Amino acid sequence: MPESPPLLRTHGLTKRYPAVTAVDGLDLEIPRGRVGLVGANGAGKTTLFRMMLGLSHPNEGSLEVCGIDVASDPIGARSRLGYMPEHECLPLDQTAADVVATFGELSGLPPRAARQRASDVLDLVGLDEARFRPVGGFSTGMRQRTKLAQAIVADPELVLLDEPTAGLDPMGREEMLALVARLGSLGISVLLATHLLDDVQQVCDHVVMLDGGRLVVAGTTGSLLERTGLLSVDVGTERGPLVERLAAMGLTATASAGLVEVQVQGDDDIDTVRDAVAELGLPLHRMTTRLTSLDEVFLDRAGRA
Amino acid sequence: MVGAVYDRGYRPYDGERGGRSAARAALFRASVRRALGLRRPWRQKVTASVLLGIAVVPAIVNVGVAYLTRDTVASDIEFITYREYVGVSNALLVFVALTAPDIMCPDRRQRVLPLLFARPLTGVDYVMAKVGAMFAILFAFSFLPQVVLFVGQMLVSDDGALAYARDNAEVIWQVPIAVGALSIFFAAIGVAIASLTSRRIIAGASIVGLFLVTSILAAALVGPEVASVEGRTGPPATVITEEGGVIVVAPGDDGLVTGEPGFGSSSTDVYFVQNDATPAALLDLLTLPLVLRDLVFLGQVEDTHPMSGLPNGGLYAVAVFAAVLIAAFVTLFVRYDEVER
Repeated sequence: MPESPPLLRTHGLTKRYPAVTAVDGLDLEIPRGRVGLVGANGAGKTTLFRMMLGLSHPNEGSLEVCGIDVASDPIGARSRLGYMPEHECLPLDQTAADVVATFGELSGLPPRAARQRASDVLDLVGLDEARFRPVGGFSTGMRQRTKLAQAIVADPELVLLDEPTAGLDPMGREEMLALVARLGSLGISVLLATHLLDDVQQVCDHVVMLDGGRLVVAGTTGSLLERTGLLSVDVGTERGPLVERLAAMGLTATASAGLVEVQVQGDDDIDTVRDAVAELGLPLHRMTTRLTSLDEVFLDRAGRA
Repeated sequence: MVGAVYDRGYRPYDGERGGRSAARAALFRASVRRALGLRRPWRQKVTASVLLGIAVVPAIVNVGVAYLTRDTVASDIEFITYREYVGVSNALLVFVALTAPDIMCPDRRQRVLPLLFARPLTGVDYVMAKVGAMFAILFAFSFLPQVVLFVGQMLVSDDGALAYARDNAEVIWQVPIAVGALSIFFAAIGVAIASLTSRRIIAGASIVGLFLVTSILAAALVGPEVASVEGRTGPPATVITEEGGVIVVAPGDDGLVTGEPGFGSSSTDVYFVQNDATPAALLDLLTLPLVLRDLVFLGQVEDTHPMSGLPNGGLYAVAVFAAVLIAAFVTLFVRYDEVER
């Protein structure tokens, strides 16, 4: 099987608006799979999506979507993409089945195939019962599912999801994330834009972090978390001496809420902590590694950048 | 595979996939369905049904009367001519004001545009599909009644169907051209105005407003009707009313009026009164397509039109018509070009 081109490859991609540079000299190569695009509001996520769809043109640089140069063939790029915008975007006076089938036709499916696919994807997102009801009467969760359904109705290579969990209650959020996770197994790559790192941590195998239109860090979710861990050590009340001792050994440690928290990188650091506790003769009640949330990676990296 | 249990219903799609033309056709179909209220609650079907009813009733009445009066002296009376019937389509203005906002504004208001333009579809495709949908409906709704009229007249004609068809053969090309000009005119203007706002009510009011304002403006420029009856002989007649290029006069003392009467009755006669020919009348967007219609049917501007008698009046009319269409399309293309940037 020939190696398929990356989902997205950009070179020096820059988009300036009169008041702000939304994307600033971005060099990226995003592999297939489920990729999280993380950044605060205004980090350039939506602008990047719009440029991928050819709805917005870069001032400088180039971008390829699924191996297609967007500037020279925006229609070709679009026909491989599904797009779920963040905002409300559904016609409200039609049934979900009609809405999704219409968008299927607009993506180039023949009418009969579009209706069949609409029924399939609505089933997939859990709206099989509700598909003949008007979208106007749907809850936020159902609308989000309908938006996802229209994005995948034409079986795209890549689906762009812009904040798919926005406005959902915890249950709805979990269900939406489970759906996103499943898209990967259906052969649809996912680019998930969110400011909620938890979402990415839960379903994505790659992470791209943006801040102010620049790349902060990119890599597999696992590698980013491995490199930076937080070790919680419960040694009773004698926390001060341990903190000092660890500082002397070159580790950053803080005493907080009955625990000593130590920044560790890899197993060696964990051994060092164990040794320090032993040398001080402290009781080791509990020692747990809490995987650093991506939030911390982000804040850490963004702070340094 | 565990996934197979849960992923029931989902299969990758490897069938036929169209490009821009398929997307354009799909948007056209979706817009026609929207305008006619198909696959939507009955309330949305009312406008279209009522319009079709209004458009077809005169044809049916006309054919019915022709049938009832066949083989009598009255059978020669034509209640409505094909040319006049194209004018009945002016009722289409109301339909356009209700429907064009319907197929344009929700896309903006409900923010569907980004979803549409994430498809293999350009701004030009969007405009063509929307104007095309409006045009197709207007054309169908103005053309269908004409077909009813023609076929009906053919069937009830005293001289036989074939003879009727032969005698009226010219309408077979006149009607589609005139109806087409009228439909593209209303469709392009209606859709262009509706594209400027996301509020349907504002769009609808603006469409009606534009036609009314140009109509009033043109009337003001053309000036008041001349209160005299050209070509009339005999003692002065008393002017009773004057309205829309028609002046109604009471007969003179001798009980006679001469000239070119329109309809007559025992107490009053109706004369067409001409102003000085002026192209200002072309500003009237409401009647502009009817001037085009007259060029098709009569080969000239109609006698009662304020522009009648103006040299090259027909050319002026065609030029203004084309300019209005171009303005509408330029508005639309500019409006939907931005979406791509």
